[in-house]
Amino acid sequence: MEELILELKKEIIKVLNLEDMTPEDIDSQAPLFGAGGLGLDSIDVLELIVLLEKHYGIRLANAAEGKKIFTNMENIARYVSENRKR
Amino acid sequence: MTDIAITGSGIICAIGNDKEQVRNSLLSEKTGIEELRYLPSCHRELPVGEVKLSDTELKQALAISPEEEYSRTALLGAYALRQTLADAGLSPESLKGKRVTLISGTTVGGTEASEHYSCGNNTKNIARIVGLDCQMTSISTACSSAMNAIILGARMLLAGETDIVLAGGTEALSVFHLNGFNSLMILDHQVCRPFDATRQGLNLGEGAAYLVLERTDDAQIREAGIQAYITGWGNRCDAYHQTATSENGEGAFLAMAEALNMADLQPGDIDYINAHGTGTIDNDRSESTALNRVFVESLPPVSSTKSLTGHTTSASGSIEAVICLIAMKGHFIPGNYGWKNQTPECISPSPITADTTLHHILCNSFGFGGNDSSLVISDLAPHRKSAVNSQQTIVTCGETVITQEDELKALSTYLSPMESRRMCQLMKAAFLTSLRTLETAGINKPDAVIVATQYGMLGNGKKILDTLNEQGEEGISPTLFMQSTHNTLAGALAIHLGCHGYNITYSQGEDSLLWAVRDAERLIHEGKARTVLVGLHDEMPLYSKSMIIRKI
Repeated sequence: MEELILELKKEIIKVLNLEDMTPEDIDSQAPLFGAGGLGLDSIDVLELIVLLEKHYGIRLANAAEGKKIFTNMENIARYVSENRKR
Repeated sequence: MTDIAITGSGIICAIGNDKEQVRNSLLSEKTGIEELRYLPSCHRELPVGEVKLSDTELKQALAISPEEEYSRTALLGAYALRQTLADAGLSPESLKGKRVTLISGTTVGGTEASEHYSCGNNTKNIARIVGLDCQMTSISTACSSAMNAIILGARMLLAGETDIVLAGGTEALSVFHLNGFNSLMILDHQVCRPFDATRQGLNLGEGAAYLVLERTDDAQIREAGIQAYITGWGNRCDAYHQTATSENGEGAFLAMAEALNMADLQPGDIDYINAHGTGTIDNDRSESTALNRVFVESLPPVSSTKSLTGHTTSASGSIEAVICLIAMKGHFIPGNYGWKNQTPECISPSPITADTTLHHILCNSFGFGGNDSSLVISDLAPHRKSAVNSQQTIVTCGETVITQEDELKALSTYLSPMESRRMCQLMKAAFLTSLRTLETAGINKPDAVIVATQYGMLGNGKKILDTLNEQGEEGISPTLFMQSTHNTLAGALAIHLGCHGYNITYSQGEDSLLWAVRDAERLIHEGKARTVLVGLHDEMPLYSKSMIIRKI
């Protein structure tokens, strides 16, 4: 799981253009959206949905579904490991 | 008298190739949204509103040889424009020597293959096919482009800058924007249901429509048939988000309020509203909120015709204006096809209603970048005096130019890394020159933002095309798509500055900046702005220039 979390962090930094950040800067349990977290927004939700489809063959039906999964890095990793097609 | 008369109109869209066919489809509520037939895309699951003619058939109808290369956007535009001229009793020959202006709204027509088809080239091609030799410009404000073209035409006539205006817009479906909208997850897999509790998104459509506009007294001298009058308009910016709409529908509210105020009408005077009503969760909720804010207790019948035509994006403003003309002439209110389930977050739209006299119709058209426009079409002329005062002193100040990439580092003085993380080089340059110019001029928030760009967001468009070529139709970046429309810069600047004022983007080749500067001056003469942020932004090679045009 730790390996998958690291892989996801690297991908997210690249896809969401978080250029000044390193994987160590992202707390695996900290919220990704809203104040007190990473400060991601609704456009990032769409980018993360594309990322899941491209890298893991996971197809989500809508943005609301994505927002439920993308709460923090641990949660994303758990969802990916349970649902990945590739 | 300076009223604006509509003396001709023409239309082609999924529900008909002319006004008569469109009228019949509106009356029988026959939707044109079906599984895609002409567009070479793998997305069979996404129904679309295609014009029921192939490119070959369009070329035949326009007497163009099959070898001549024109985009479908230009073919549709020429088809509708030719119809419009005939409807007004005009021809390219009869217009020779007159002061004629062609104003066309388009977006993807200038993005899909930017090197070949810039927006300006698209409009030139339409004129070439039709055989028109006149002054022309292109407006590219995403889905409100065509309505903004009509508004500009009316303003130019009021200011006495031209005598006959041909205004509207055109957009063909493309693999580019079908995949782009799909990446935003706002496409319904069934026929869309605007304002319905179960709505899941929009269906894309295509088409073109144009109006002939003249000052009423000129039209009377020409003994032209007057179909209706344009009596009010408003263009405002939601200044909230690149593609989403604000909760309180501020931009839509301001645009509608301005249009009503200009037409000197009370909310209760409006007999029908043709809503933007795309069928997305966001738009329909936000537009409903704005409608309720403007009309409070006196909301007239409202309907969206997009479940018949599909969302014809850049052409929707003129297509729906012509639908309003058809409804006014035929004494009926078009229905909101497909609506069944009421929801407290949306207005409840009107069913099709016959035998109704429509004196005043409000037509809404909103686009990416929160670009919101409203138009009032009336069957009576208001006999108002022009409010244009061209005696004011206007100056240009605080000009800033950037051409080198390494200068962009200075942007960190104005924006945090989180704010600039999604910006491409061109947007960084546009922000840097704009913010520096405003700082120099001591202005926090201009009254309006006007951008000129020859090729728009060329780099982002190219990246999307590369993805489509290399990976097929999957994995388009939603960020790139929402930053691919020509008005991305003007929209993003308005969002950053919190500027709800007039917001427009011109894309007419090397003339783009001239049109932008003229518009800034026109806006000041109309008394609608005191300070206007004007920019010329292009990449490859990078060139970004910003200035303030202000009244003193």
